[in-house]
Amino acid sequence: MSNNSILVVGGGFAGITAALEAAEIGHEVFIVEKNPYLGGRVAQLNKYFPKLCPPSCGLEIQFQRIKNNPKVKFFTLAEVLSVSGSPGDFTVKIKLSPRYVNERCTACGECEKAASTLVENEFEFGLVKRKAAYRTHLFAFPMRYTLDAAKCGADELRRIKDSCPYDAIDLDDAEKTIELNVGSIVLATGWKPYDVAKLGELGGGKLANVITNMQMERLASPSGPTNGKILRPSDNKAPRKIAFVQCAGSRDQNHLNYCSYICCMASLKQLSYIREQNPDALVVVYYIDLRTPGRYEAFKRRATDDKKLLLVKGKVAKIVEDAGTGDPTVTVENAVTGIRSEERFDLVVLATGMQPSIAGRDVPAGVSLDEDGFIISGMDKGFIAAGCAKLPLDVMKTAQSGTGAALKAIQTVVGR
Amino acid sequence: MSNTVRVQPDLNFVKELQAVGGESLKKCYQCATCSVVCPLSPDDSPYPRKEMVWAQWGLKDRLLNDIDIWLCHNCGTCSDLCPRGAKPGDLLAALRNMAYRNLAKPSAIGKWMSSSKFIPLLMAIPAAIYLIIWFIRAAVLKDAFPLNADGNVVYGLLFPGDYTIDPVFSLAFLFMVCAFVSGTRALLKSFEGMPKTYILGRKEQPGLIRCLVETIKYEVARHTQFQDCGQEPQDVKRFQGHLLVFYAFVALLVVTGVVASGHWFGGWFLGGVLGLEDPFTKLLSWAGHTPMPLWSPVKLLANAGAAALIIGLVFLTKRRLNLDKAKQGSSWYDWYLLTVIWAVALTGVGSEFLRLVNAKYLAYPTYFLHLIAVFMLLAYLPWSKLGHLVYRTVALAYARKIGRIPMQPKG
Repeated sequence: MSNNSILVVGGGFAGITAALEAAEIGHEVFIVEKNPYLGGRVAQLNKYFPKLCPPSCGLEIQFQRIKNNPKVKFFTLAEVLSVSGSPGDFTVKIKLSPRYVNERCTACGECEKAASTLVENEFEFGLVKRKAAYRTHLFAFPMRYTLDAAKCGADELRRIKDSCPYDAIDLDDAEKTIELNVGSIVLATGWKPYDVAKLGELGGGKLANVITNMQMERLASPSGPTNGKILRPSDNKAPRKIAFVQCAGSRDQNHLNYCSYICCMASLKQLSYIREQNPDALVVVYYIDLRTPGRYEAFKRRATDDKKLLLVKGKVAKIVEDAGTGDPTVTVENAVTGIRSEERFDLVVLATGMQPSIAGRDVPAGVSLDEDGFIISGMDKGFIAAGCAKLPLDVMKTAQSGTGAALKAIQTVVGR
Repeated sequence: MSNTVRVQPDLNFVKELQAVGGESLKKCYQCATCSVVCPLSPDDSPYPRKEMVWAQWGLKDRLLNDIDIWLCHNCGTCSDLCPRGAKPGDLLAALRNMAYRNLAKPSAIGKWMSSSKFIPLLMAIPAAIYLIIWFIRAAVLKDAFPLNADGNVVYGLLFPGDYTIDPVFSLAFLFMVCAFVSGTRALLKSFEGMPKTYILGRKEQPGLIRCLVETIKYEVARHTQFQDCGQEPQDVKRFQGHLLVFYAFVALLVVTGVVASGHWFGGWFLGGVLGLEDPFTKLLSWAGHTPMPLWSPVKLLANAGAAALIIGLVFLTKRRLNLDKAKQGSSWYDWYLLTVIWAVALTGVGSEFLRLVNAKYLAYPTYFLHLIAVFMLLAYLPWSKLGHLVYRTVALAYARKIGRIPMQPKG
């Protein structure tokens, strides 16, 4: 018996788009998302391409479409355990981790006030800590808190439970496994920033004022740890001299052997964040090739028409920190002038690339990966890759890729 | 651009370079990681990024006249961190190999030394000389494996030093020196176009001799550049190994010098020609007399040198065998030199040991092989990787003169 439901693994921009496109044609769709929220990496950005919109701009309408469409069902804090069967008839086992917060939650935040344990904040890329009872960001969807019960003691849990005026804390919540029957599977597992700990020459993530481009997004975001003020981590001062290090671990056979497509433009986008706050800051972008994929040439022209911007051809291969001031010093050879120099900055931003999220994880049998770890679609096997799980993309192309994946998923289940 | 240069690429040269060990140079995309991570490269026009683009463009003149290939001591850090696997370290090594091949005259030997297929020819030259001598002496003595009156192996019986060793090796030495003179001239001529660095506070350019003295004091005697070249444990082992091998050769050179001057100056000239019998003449001619007793200080120095040579060789060979081939290759020049020095060391120690145990059928062939190995090391030296002994020293002195490297190393 053929099944025309579709499973979408990953609730980021590609997954949401694929799910909605399929659901609005009448297919039952399940989204499985491992985070407590939908929206993926886009939700973490300050502004996104191509029009430099804030994430709420594109995501809100998607969330509305999800809310209004009974054909879309989504699971957060969920992971695929196993896939069996064949196209048209897959059985998928899904693990649902407990949220400990039920649908009565109004996101009033009382539980967060009552909590005391501080834990690593993945959403803010470690820039700040968060409480064990938390909402990742203001615009979270579903708008519901999450409780890291395993991180708290019994007393703290009782205080958290008692603090909730709506009786939304459910300490008896437990891990569940469910089974879904679907006809095809869209893999929209997305990307993660390349681990800077591997970039030893660039400080290996140990230098306070050397941040990643995704940390820069959070610093610039009004909902971020500094309420949108770009301040350097060591002393919360506004940086006046900032370097962008392009291809930090990208196009490098010792790290990610490919170009992540959007990092060059992302650094120029982040230049605009700096300009809004400090028109006089000196910004230097060190690059191998300043790449403007697709139609970004015009964007580049606008962005680089800036008296206080220097574009230097030469890859930064060494960063050290001044012990007293915490200022990072980069060493680079300007390949045009042939002069090697050490330059001191207030803040250095590493433009790290996109690594497939599934890197280092098990993939379902039948799913094949290319040499860089991205998923290769196999329509005959019932798997369709979408978004940055397939190749590095910007948000616009991700949406296109999601739509395309929806069509392929439908073609897989229809007419069997 | 106001100062556009018309590039006249020499495509054959690019191919030639790729053939001698720079095969991956086309992968370079000019990110300049290499020149940043190089521990020795100067800040002004650092190497090896510019050499990579010159090589891709086939700018033969620039590369052949480039002094920087001698500033590089080949730790391989650039190639380790190269994002494309373009192996800039191998390119510089390949350029040095080209210099060994082309600098000294006659260039035919440069060609023979550039490929393993000519090795039988190179071996045949010393082998033929000493095989003929062996035949003649065997005929004269009516014994191809002669023993002396006490029944001991004495190499001088088969290959009398005064007539068959010293003249042959003196000629080989002279040949080598002449070749180096021509090679060094060519090298210095190639540097003429190098830009001079204006150094504040330096009134006039120092003389080449003074620069040479400083180079010998620092880079040669103390291996200062080598010590700074790479910080990994295998780089430290390479530095130690090279230092041991270098001082082993110095020790063996001293031994040879003492024997030669003792024998020829003390024994032959003072004792023989002038007929002196003072204690100094006696001591000198004793020191130059071979075979020496094992307790002779000269023999002790020789044995210590041989031991240092073998330990150093073990360090260097081990490192080369363990090189990650994806990052750093080894060329024919590298293996030729290591093998010949191994052959010199092993046949030398073997000859001494087999002579002491009086195993004549093994001792004489081993000594014969030792003569071949020493000849191959000495006579072909300017065209081998060991040519760096002279070329690198001269280049570093010249680099001091023009301000490319400081007169005294930092720290």
